[in-house]
Parts: sequence; C-alpha cells; structure tokens
Amino acid sequence: MDNLSEKLMEELENHTAFTIPIFGGIPVPDSCAVSWIIIAVVVLLSIILTHNMKKVPQGKQCLLEIGITWMNDFFLDTLGPHGKKYLPILETFMIYIGFSNLIGLFGFVPPTKDINVTVALAVMASILIQVAGFKEKGGKKWAKGFLEPMPAMLPMNLLELVTRPLSMSMRLFGNVLGAFVVMELIKICIPGGIPVPFSLYFDIFDGAIQAYVFVFLTSLFMAEAIEE
Amino acid sequence: MGLVAIGAAIAVLTGAGAGVGIGIATAKAAEAIARQPEAKKDIRSAMLLGCVLAEATAIYGFVIALLIIVMLGK
Repeated sequence: MDNLSEKLMEELENHTAFTIPIFGGIPVPDSCAVSWIIIAVVVLLSIILTHNMKKVPQGKQCLLEIGITWMNDFFLDTLGPHGKKYLPILETFMIYIGFSNLIGLFGFVPPTKDINVTVALAVMASILIQVAGFKEKGGKKWAKGFLEPMPAMLPMNLLELVTRPLSMSMRLFGNVLGAFVVMELIKICIPGGIPVPFSLYFDIFDGAIQAYVFVFLTSLFMAEAIEE
Repeated sequence: MGLVAIGAAIAVLTGAGAGVGIGIATAKAAEAIARQPEAKKDIRSAMLLGCVLAEATAIYGFVIALLIIVMLGK
C-alpha cells in the first residue's frame, strides 16, 4: 500500500521538463513540452498532406478528404447550418485531444494526464459556447436564456456555467489517468507481451472515444446555445 | 492502512451504477435500432450522450478513490 500510494503520487505529479533561463527561470512542465511536440507534428502533417493538392484527389489527399468530410458532417449534423463558422475550432479541439491521448503509445506522457491541461481545454470550450450563443442570438436573447424555462431556474443555469467545465475536465482527466494507472498496474502484474491487448483497449480505443466525447459534448452544448 | 483501502474500494463502487446505466442505455439503443434502422444516427448520438453522463459518476468515484489513496495512504 505504501508503495502503491507513492507510485500513484508520482504519476499524479507533473514533472518539469526544463526551465527557460529568463526572468529568473520559467519552469516548463512535461505536458507543455509534449504539447509543443504535438503542435510541431500536426503542423508538419498539415504541410505534407496539403502539399500539391489536385482537383481529383489521389492517395494521401483522399485520406485527408475522408477525415475532414467526416468531421465536417459530424459537427454540422449536431450544430445545424448556423454552426459552420465554428467547425475549424471544434476540429482543432478534436485533433489536439486525439493526438495527446494517443501520444502515450510513443512513450511520451500524454498532456491530458495533467489536470491543468484538461481544465484549460474545458474552460476554453465553455467560453467558446457562451461567445457563440452571444453572437448568434444577440446579447438580450442570450441573457434571457438564463431565465429559461422559468425565472426560478436562474441559479441552476448559473451553476451550470461552473459544473459543465468541471465535469468535462474531470471526465477527460479521469479517463486518461485511469487508463494510465490501470496500464501501469497490468504491466507490474503480468510482464511480457500480455499487456498488448489491454493497451489496444485502454490507450487507443479509450483515447479516441474520449477525444470524440469531448468535442461531441461541446458541440451539443453549443447547438443548445445557438439555437433560436 | 486497511481502512484506507476499504474507503477507496467503497468509492470505486460507484462504478456499479454507471455499469448498470450504460448497460440499460445500450440495450434500449439496440432495441430502437432494430425497430427503426433508419434512425440509427440520432439513436447513436442520444445513446452516447446518456452513456457519457452515466460514466461521469464512475469517473468521479475513481478520482475520489485515487485522492483517498494518495492523500491518506501514507
């Protein structure tokens, strides 16, 4: 038990990757450094994939178009035609979370295992939802939305502003950390090639599902916020 | 020390509720798709929403169990 709690504590801690030697040293945590790696990889991928595009798609362009079309259809389905201008940011969320959940496969620490990252993502998502509602409905209607279905619901609606990002960030963090801890335990208990199928489930399937769920919830709440 | 383990185990019991909830949601969704295959898309997203919300309770239980072990398990 002593060992386990120490190990868990160690997993929960966010190690500092390196320190920037200005202003007395700015510590850069692992999650931030890995995020930079993800940014570099995604930028490189987008340059490579969009290089030399043709009217009739071929090879890699086909794959790219399938992916983008799938995401566009998925978000437009939930958001309706008004949501078209919010597609890029939602897809960015999806790509970033997907990459950061799956990067554990390559031996990096997934950034979403750091609760600061998930809270930041959830807060950004809920600000996005409110801004979208404000822009689509106009200030008066947006403010009125807090009084629906009846004025007595005002405190509940205000509370929802806090509980939604809380539950969204906790869901992502808990899932990623849970998968991480279970995988560590399995690796301790049964060494050799046996953890591979578990890794398939916990690392790939669960990570992909959580990326999907996060943006799905965001787009659902957004659809609710922008509907007339 | 034993009590801490028991406390963490009780916190993780919340998973039972989430399991039953997701099971019911999936069973009903399968039934609904069998009855109306053309509404598959809507049914799937409604089921996913229910599953996600049900799963949240299990996650909270897990986070609490983890906190119990980390904070009290010394």
